[in-house]
Amino acid sequence: MLQHSKAFTFFVQADFIVPLLQLQTDSSLFVASAANQTLAHTLVFFQPGGNGTFKNPGKVERTQTSIGVEEPFSQDYSSVLGTISQFLKESLLPKENTGLHQSQQVLKLLALLLARARQPLRDKLLGTVADSLQELVAAGYSQLTPPLMDIILAAYSSSSTDDCVPDQRVTRLLSSMLNITKPSDLIGAAAAFLRGGRHHQDAVHTARAVRILLLPLHIVTGQTLLGTDTTVEEHRFSISEKLKIKTSCVSMICVCLTHTPPITLMPGDLLPCPPVSILTAVLSLLRIVSGDSSSLSSGCSEVFRNLVGSGKVQKCSLEVLTGLSSSPGMKDKLTEVVTVLIQYLNNPDSDPTVIHKSYQALLKWMSVCEDVSSLTDKFKQDLIDVVKKRVCDMRWEVRDSTVEFLGKLAGVLKQGEETCGALLGGCWSTPLLREALQDPESYVRASAISALAQTLEPSWHQGAAVTQGQTDVVTRLLEILSQDTEAFARRAVVQYFIACADLDWEVKVHTLELAQLLMDEACSGHRGYRKGSDTPPALRHPYAVISARPLGEGAESDVAGALRNLVEQGVVWALLSGLVDCDRPVGLKACQLLITLRDTVCPRPPPGASPATAAASKVSCELPGCGWGREIRKIPGMRRLDRVKEADVAHRTRCGEVGIERTSEGGDSVCVSVCDILSSLGLDEKLDELSQSSDHVHNSALSLLQDILTASAAHTQQDAEPGQEVIVDCY
Amino acid sequence: MKLYCLSGHPTLPCNVLKFKSTTIMLDCGLDTTSVLNFLPLPLVHSPRLSKLPGWVSKDGNINLEKELKECAKRVFVDSQPEFCLPEKELLDLSNIDVILISNYHCMMALPYITEHTGFTGTVYATEPTLQIGRLLMEELVNFMERVPKSQSATCWKNKEVQRMLPGPLKDVVDVWAWKRCYSMLEVNSALSKVQLVGYSQKVELFGAVQVSPLSSGYSLGSSNWIIQSHHEKVAYVSGSSLLTTHPQPMDQSSLKNSDVLILTGLTQMPTANPDGMLGEFCSNLAMTIRAGGNVLVPCYSSGVIYDLLECLYQFIESASLGTTPFYFISPVANSSLEFSQIFAEWLCHNKQSKVYLPEPPFPHAELIQTNKLKHYPSIHGDFSIEFRQPCVVFTGHPSLRFGDVVHFMELWGKSSLNTIIFTEPDFSYLDALAPYQPLAMKCVYCPIDTRLNFHQVSKLLKEVQPLHVVCPEQYTQPPLTQSHRSDLMLELQPPPMPYRRCSVLNLPFRRRYERVYILPELANSLVPSEVKPGISVATVSAVLHSKDNKHTLQSVSKPPPAPPSKKRKRVMEEPPVVQAPKPLLSGAVPLEAFLATLQKHGISEVKVEETADGHILHLQADDTLIQLEADGTHIVCDNNEPLRTTLRDLVLRFLQKL
Repeated sequence: MLQHSKAFTFFVQADFIVPLLQLQTDSSLFVASAANQTLAHTLVFFQPGGNGTFKNPGKVERTQTSIGVEEPFSQDYSSVLGTISQFLKESLLPKENTGLHQSQQVLKLLALLLARARQPLRDKLLGTVADSLQELVAAGYSQLTPPLMDIILAAYSSSSTDDCVPDQRVTRLLSSMLNITKPSDLIGAAAAFLRGGRHHQDAVHTARAVRILLLPLHIVTGQTLLGTDTTVEEHRFSISEKLKIKTSCVSMICVCLTHTPPITLMPGDLLPCPPVSILTAVLSLLRIVSGDSSSLSSGCSEVFRNLVGSGKVQKCSLEVLTGLSSSPGMKDKLTEVVTVLIQYLNNPDSDPTVIHKSYQALLKWMSVCEDVSSLTDKFKQDLIDVVKKRVCDMRWEVRDSTVEFLGKLAGVLKQGEETCGALLGGCWSTPLLREALQDPESYVRASAISALAQTLEPSWHQGAAVTQGQTDVVTRLLEILSQDTEAFARRAVVQYFIACADLDWEVKVHTLELAQLLMDEACSGHRGYRKGSDTPPALRHPYAVISARPLGEGAESDVAGALRNLVEQGVVWALLSGLVDCDRPVGLKACQLLITLRDTVCPRPPPGASPATAAASKVSCELPGCGWGREIRKIPGMRRLDRVKEADVAHRTRCGEVGIERTSEGGDSVCVSVCDILSSLGLDEKLDELSQSSDHVHNSALSLLQDILTASAAHTQQDAEPGQEVIVDCY
Repeated sequence: MKLYCLSGHPTLPCNVLKFKSTTIMLDCGLDTTSVLNFLPLPLVHSPRLSKLPGWVSKDGNINLEKELKECAKRVFVDSQPEFCLPEKELLDLSNIDVILISNYHCMMALPYITEHTGFTGTVYATEPTLQIGRLLMEELVNFMERVPKSQSATCWKNKEVQRMLPGPLKDVVDVWAWKRCYSMLEVNSALSKVQLVGYSQKVELFGAVQVSPLSSGYSLGSSNWIIQSHHEKVAYVSGSSLLTTHPQPMDQSSLKNSDVLILTGLTQMPTANPDGMLGEFCSNLAMTIRAGGNVLVPCYSSGVIYDLLECLYQFIESASLGTTPFYFISPVANSSLEFSQIFAEWLCHNKQSKVYLPEPPFPHAELIQTNKLKHYPSIHGDFSIEFRQPCVVFTGHPSLRFGDVVHFMELWGKSSLNTIIFTEPDFSYLDALAPYQPLAMKCVYCPIDTRLNFHQVSKLLKEVQPLHVVCPEQYTQPPLTQSHRSDLMLELQPPPMPYRRCSVLNLPFRRRYERVYILPELANSLVPSEVKPGISVATVSAVLHSKDNKHTLQSVSKPPPAPPSKKRKRVMEEPPVVQAPKPLLSGAVPLEAFLATLQKHGISEVKVEETADGHILHLQADDTLIQLEADGTHIVCDNNEPLRTTLRDLVLRFLQKL
């Protein structure tokens, strides 16, 4: 409503501003927040533009109303601005009875305002509150640090959109914030400033914030991160003292740590030390936290005891270590990083999450450093040893992470150079994974299967002969698929086979070409058969070329024989499955071939003529109940056929004739006459459809919906056995 | 109250507490680390060990080739291994009244104390401690006697000679306190002096103190002890654990409010978390078996092995080790496995409840039933028929100097497929392996020590709040190798009192009260008068009767009516001076009122002088002084008895008489 100036005038004249201001401290957070939003909106939306006129971008309505009402409207606006400014000024500083709640709300409102305020509104607002803000900063309320930083950042961001230098008052405020005496607030403020991403404009404050955030690491690890830099020296004592208290120590270190990766990416002149030193400090910290302080001569031992064994710091540092891998100049440290990570993997006290994070860090570093050959054989051996130990761990989470790591390691090393092969050397990881296939925990089995897929994939496709080991793996996987009681494992096996199967559409098209050759051989010389290699059928109307050559009875029986051959060779299956393939070129090719086949073996009987191809029409093939078979049967024409055959089968069974029969087991799999299929598939329409670009279907919402429907239908059809509950797993 | 410290080993303590009139020995630990300086005792002839060269000093002056052998650049004593006994010279051990045992690991020196020092007292221990302690001693004797060695090396102990030896032999101390193992006879005699106690049972010692064992959660029947009189309480904390393993959980609350807490037996592996180590143990074991190697676990025949077997029971399936045989070889293997199942009341709650179900508390019974775990008294006999590799063998002794483990070291040491996993924390694994070097076998060190760590003990002490803590000096500083780890030491206020071998500590509390009983008829005769609301006092005249450290006030018996004999008459002529005691005075003399009274009695020339303790009244006319002080009044008056008496009576007017 308040996007119309008339409404605004009404709003002001009805004196709604005052109750809104009161609602700001309502006990309901929703009400208070809504009041804040409305107030901010009121001021910001109708704020005068930089050139002194009212701006209301994008609203046609505004131009109509602003003319003529400008004068009283402007008065209304000024009065609202006056009221709100007065309120801000009065309520910013906490009073005894209201506590900090009101100040927090006012600060939130200010942040909302400043984020979108342009000149002169921003100037007016800052003018009103700058002194009070300074006072608030000086008072040092810890809870107010984050909202104060929000205000500063909001002021910074709005000033940048106006493309002018930051306001002096804001700069001063920021300086005071980066100079608070309370260590946790100081670090909070510095962290907020860097998070705000405003550091590109303000080198002085950015450099200071960086130093503040590095100070605790400097103190704890004794690494000279700050060198001779003394800008934050006055805080050293208070921060040291705070670090000696366990709770504040852990949280402070974690805040500082999480900001180190972005710090290392900053321009060098903002940093007090090369980024590598920060990495060294993180590594030292990791050593300290794992209890290994033997190598450290400097650093504060009173702080060590707060950090030793702290899982939170371990996890945080490992994440940061992962993050640091992409910073400049770090690659030389690979050996040191790997040493620490192996130590973490080896540590009996590392909990599963820590081990998981160590693996992730290791993978990241190995993938970033193209050349892992710089690692000595000792490291490789150490890594192999620790991995071998961890796959035998008592905790399944650890075994799972380890197995997963092996899979990903294969992926990482695949991208790298040949030299990596030595480390990967499937020869040591594959037996471990094969062993893990027997793990009692289904998650581990599933991970082992996927890892195997990743490890064996390269050798699988190189065209090399299949080794005994690979055969064994496949045998074992088939066992899992048929016998495992857990779905995770079975699912992973299926995914494995999918990963191993060739998904390349060109290969599939070539496969269809093979089918075509077989067809050529079987049907050449028959009536109406066009050699696929002679003329691409898609270029002509399929019915246009029909050989006028008369056909004898013998030839007819030959057609039936040829068709039977094609069924036996699997050509018909290949064509049918190709027809419903998700790759359009494959579908197209299959469709073309099927049309050829149809026209050859079972041309439409001319009206009135008796079926000359009776023998061929009796040749049937089996349609599987699932997969492509089901897809085929979903084609509308086929559904009709199914229904007809349902009736037919009853009839024929009575007559002792079997043209379509249900196989004894499965029930779902159906034998259908090939000719019936070919004539029911609607191949001509399908051909037109497939000749079009795939985009028009696949990009539509319809395809998504169909996807969902297919998925759900697939689910019910597969699992809905009578009397068995369908369990939908949401893994 | 004094504490004599006879052992410097923090986890194998032996201290003597003199408390009131009793002398109490707290634990009787045997430091067996001395055996690491000896050559292993092989069960079958070992060509390797017998071919080791003897040691001759570089200049050739000292030739000890018969006593010392060199192996892998270290020198070992070729003799029956010897143990380092608790100090015997610090005090006369025959005066010891009782020995309190806290767990079966801390009683191994018992025969040395009870059999050779003139000890006549009693040993108190819980039943599992006695039974399993007996097993461990029996095993030790068996290990030694099975491989008798006639030679007893003593020349190297000569101070002048020892100085010239290479380390670490050069640096070992108290070598003359080292003794060979006791015999089964001595064991039986020593254990016959043990009296069984149950948790929280109170045992009176000569009426002077009461001792009581509390569950310490470390091993079956392990206990801490409370030693208390009516007004003093000493807590003795030995190996204790807060982890949930098989024993009953630790009783912490009963340790509260002690004047002195003697703290020993903390974990020897403060940086090795038992859970992590157990995981490490299992994964290394599985890794070796999968690779076709054998696993050797040198361990004691009771204790952590129960937990290891329980852990493996769960792990076997997940690591697909179902067909791998587990062998437990010890002269007492069978008894150990069976004993553990019958001490129901000493087990943790979880296991206790299983006793009432048709399943045994420990799952190792099932391992035995399903033939996955087999136990044998030694490698000879049935074992050699059943032995199948790859396998896992649990056997002793963890020092690798004697027992069946020596055989497996010789058998498997040469193959890198095999692994030895150390789980007992008592011995440095590098030292243990030294006489087997060079060794191809993989070595894994997973010391599992469930005793309290520094973090747990600080929390415990914060809760039980003893006034003073006494502990081995090792606990008052960070470990030598990790000087930065200030978290690996005790930091207390007031700081703990450290002790070392041969320290004698005066425990910092004075006994101030003693309980005295009063007989009813005597109590009846008392006439209490109230001095403050709620507080009454009465004088009592009685005879203090002390017997068995119990003090009783009895009425003074009236002299019997004199028989008319001449002899008696003479006695009657000098009757015992039994005068009624003078009444006790209490209260204070108020100065102003007293001056007024003096005035009334005509003494007016009084000069009052204020002193630190009260006032001095100078009666100038009579040259007399009256000193009025908080706890006494003196009248200094020469040669004027009437005045003194008057003054005395005036003073008495202001005081209450009892």
